[in-house]
Amino acid sequence: MSRTSIRPVLGAISLKVGKNMAKTFLGYRRAQGRAGVRNWIAVISVMDNCNPVTRAISQAVAGTIPVTAMFVRGQFGADLEFALGALAGMGRNPNIGGVLLVGLEPESTEAVASLIRPTGKPVERVHLQPDGTIECIARGTRLAARMALQASQARRESCPISDLTIGLECGGSDTTSGLSCNPAIGRMADRLVADGGTVIISETSEFIGAEHLFAARAIDEQVKRDFLAAVKRMEDLAVGRGVNMRDSQPAPDNKRGGLTTVEEKALGALAKAGKSPLVGVLGYGQPPVRQGLHFMDAPSAAVENLTAFAISGCQLNCFGTGVGNPIGNMVSPTLKICGNTNTLQSMRDNLDFDVSAVFESSASIADLGDQLYERVTDVASGTLVTSELLNVRETAVSRFERSL
Amino acid sequence: MPRCIVLHPTDNVATLIDTARAGEDCTLQGERQGAVRLLQDVAFGHKVCITEVPRGGEILKYGQVIGRATQSITVGEHAHVQNIDSARARGDLAEGR
Repeated sequence: MSRTSIRPVLGAISLKVGKNMAKTFLGYRRAQGRAGVRNWIAVISVMDNCNPVTRAISQAVAGTIPVTAMFVRGQFGADLEFALGALAGMGRNPNIGGVLLVGLEPESTEAVASLIRPTGKPVERVHLQPDGTIECIARGTRLAARMALQASQARRESCPISDLTIGLECGGSDTTSGLSCNPAIGRMADRLVADGGTVIISETSEFIGAEHLFAARAIDEQVKRDFLAAVKRMEDLAVGRGVNMRDSQPAPDNKRGGLTTVEEKALGALAKAGKSPLVGVLGYGQPPVRQGLHFMDAPSAAVENLTAFAISGCQLNCFGTGVGNPIGNMVSPTLKICGNTNTLQSMRDNLDFDVSAVFESSASIADLGDQLYERVTDVASGTLVTSELLNVRETAVSRFERSL
Repeated sequence: MPRCIVLHPTDNVATLIDTARAGEDCTLQGERQGAVRLLQDVAFGHKVCITEVPRGGEILKYGQVIGRATQSITVGEHAHVQNIDSARARGDLAEGR
């Protein structure tokens, strides 16, 4: 392995940008906001008791995805607003061409619908009350079929790459993650940011031990303070509970992969953020309002974190893995990027992009990251990822309070 | 020869990118040259000590502190959870516990 292929982990990357013509992808233009990379009808549960009907409708109609909920019924106050807002966020995501809400009763359904309608996309509603599941499935299936037909009349058009917001994730990490997939993702992120796009890194607990390096990249004191405060809240939580966080961070599979401490994991995870300046700190699911690299304060587990990205409007996610974690997101296609030669063999069905050349043939991180950027553009234009092909996708909105 | 990568000149651990057996010499790549003879089997992706670390000493990777040695670690030893502990988020060590 050459020295140049190692340095980009924390060293300087010289970006050659500005010479190319404006980069584009083939996306679905929306009445408002950024273009989508998919054009699904989202069948969204307004609360957990609707999930069986949501799944049945989505299974019956091509061109739809099921977005299931946990809880919501019984949540109250700010916690309820948060839950309904999160569901609406997934409906507002640019990848969604129309929304069918499946509710128990009209009031809560309307609360979600009213947050999605301003996007101008069609929103329909069906309810379990008073006629029960069979009638609800029948009505919902007809509505979804009509919406999917309508959506299928849209055509992909050339859209500026700056329309993309990409979530940067890692899971099932090992020591190869910090040396291969994460720095390659970082290079891709730098390229996208240089082209006017937006990236979001998250997983607050995975900054413990590397926060000083990331904080130094904040564009101003406020951003720096907000970021450091989020990491401190996370560490204080572990300290306040009287536990050594190491039982779950690094996780047992991380340790089997050679990661020893959360600090080591954090230094590898940070490589996903490339070298761009940190321009903003977002709350859970909060959409960025400017372009560039953002940090989102949200839990680290893959399903939960990818859901937060989807809520915030990310159209795609890049997910680095070492020992392997196959899960993708329902709303935002998730590319699995891996440099561990063993995992690339054993879990190949679930992986999208191979960066093992950094070890096996001294490929440079810059070259691999540039190739990844091209693959991201392809996926944005319609090429499927493994988690779509095999339908290994899940939704989990975080929960911060207890119910009534 | 099995390969291991040194990410920063000050690092006292290196990462194996091959699986290696006790007694084998590993080639150091990246920010240091030379070889280290393994005292134990070390799996792919795991770390080996390349500079003696006393008990309580800082473990350096990427030129950054990734934890502390819970016992002295000698060159060629497998460096992992059995001899390294995190220094952060340690609620179990908080005052009054």
